[in-house]
Amino acid sequence: MHAIQVDKIKKRFFVNSRPPLFGLLKENFGKNGKSQDVFYALDDISFEIKKGEWLGVIGHNGAGKTTLLKLVAGLLQPDAGKVTRNGVITYLSGFGIGMLEELTVKENIFMYGAIYGIERETLGKNLNEIIAWAELEKFSETKFKHLSSGMRGRLAFSTTRYLDSEIFLMDEALSAGDASFREKCAKVFEGYRADGKSFMIAAHSFDMIEKFCDRVLWLSKGKVTAFGDTEIVLENYRKAFGIEKKKKDQ
Amino acid sequence: MFHYNVKHFNLLRELTISQLRSKDASSLLGIIWSFLNPLLFLLVVFVMFNLRFQGSIENYGIYVLVGIVQYTHFSNCTVASMTVLKNMGQLTGQTLFPKELLIFSIILSRTYEFVIALGITIMFAYIAGIGFSFSILALPFVLVLQISLVLWVSLILSWIYLLARDIQHIFHVFLRLLIFICPIFYPPSFVEGNFWAELIIYINPLTHLIDFSRSIIINGELFSATAFCWLLLIHSILIYLSFKTFKRVEPRFGELL
Repeated sequence: MHAIQVDKIKKRFFVNSRPPLFGLLKENFGKNGKSQDVFYALDDISFEIKKGEWLGVIGHNGAGKTTLLKLVAGLLQPDAGKVTRNGVITYLSGFGIGMLEELTVKENIFMYGAIYGIERETLGKNLNEIIAWAELEKFSETKFKHLSSGMRGRLAFSTTRYLDSEIFLMDEALSAGDASFREKCAKVFEGYRADGKSFMIAAHSFDMIEKFCDRVLWLSKGKVTAFGDTEIVLENYRKAFGIEKKKKDQ
Repeated sequence: MFHYNVKHFNLLRELTISQLRSKDASSLLGIIWSFLNPLLFLLVVFVMFNLRFQGSIENYGIYVLVGIVQYTHFSNCTVASMTVLKNMGQLTGQTLFPKELLIFSIILSRTYEFVIALGITIMFAYIAGIGFSFSILALPFVLVLQISLVLWVSLILSWIYLLARDIQHIFHVFLRLLIFICPIFYPPSFVEGNFWAELIIYINPLTHLIDFSRSIIINGELFSATAFCWLLLIHSILIYLSFKTFKRVEPRFGELL
């Protein structure tokens, strides 16, 4: 059974800076029926993720990673092709989206949890644990605006541990964390893996992808360059760009 | 049409509370401003119009207050809703929940202020010697119509704003005009005999809502049930249509931001 099935999707964007209305009108009523000011962020992409499978998405900036994840999440609509989803999806793009500067740590846990559909009762019961995991015991009444980026990341990730999703889409979500934070996150991911959750991770750093992903999709300028076993695809990627394995990627 | 679960109501609650908290954050008096702000403003309006501009209309201060309070609610809700999808772009473009909840939260938080302002108006009416009558129990019906009106207008404005920001300027001009084409400072009878002026005033839904509130608060009389049912029906149809359109455009919000 597939958690996600992506079939020949295409996604284009207008490249001019005119209002969206202008582009839409030109597309529908302009000469030749279509606007020329478009570029394809994704072009004819197909793949599938099995239930419990972890897929890594790699590629340079502008390769189409974020666009692909947003299309899979349903935040963008494809111009051609189809995305089929079997299960409850959570899309995490950078931690802390939706947390408000003027609210305290405690208040933001409820706010952030609500955005991602975590029940208030669950958050209430585990409030102290969430704060303790994030190492913010002394800051529970501190306003979010006074927290460092590391603290924000820990708080957000700590809260998302109570998410009850079947499919997770993560777009550079751990990029702000330090080594010890990543280590803590890795333990949480091991739990997710054991629970049979499906993951799609887009990242520049290969640490998480190498450790957890079964397969990797390599995108270049909106097209698939390679798709297959993690070790093979990453090796080919490294060879193509002269990256040594032991050094930090990219 | 509306598919919501407990999690959505929980999110709506959090969004609404955060709107209210953020507004008075870092101020010494905090939430007290929600009461103090309209109290001071309405006090000035009441004193000015009650003492200085007493004309042919009895209880003119209260008469104007009711109009201003309802106009302000309409204006606050629609202006904030128009830009909320853009202003909260991260939530709009990077999280998965029905985006109309952002608009609902704006309307709920502004309606909380509206209810306070309406309460202050009733208090002033009592001070002015108007007294209470049981008809005041019908005010929640006016509230339902008022919320229905701002809901469909807000839903439409929010996605049009994403397509073309020009709507913001057009709507601000419209709001300035609306002050004068609503019978806030004058009675609807003021334009009697002028077909076009009468038409503009009576097709304006706020006219009827302000009239209903004035009947209740000033005259202690109930409004016409038939008129209420007609307005409810019209607003329900408009909510349905605006909601359908909103949901059709919603999948495109991510790229329109």
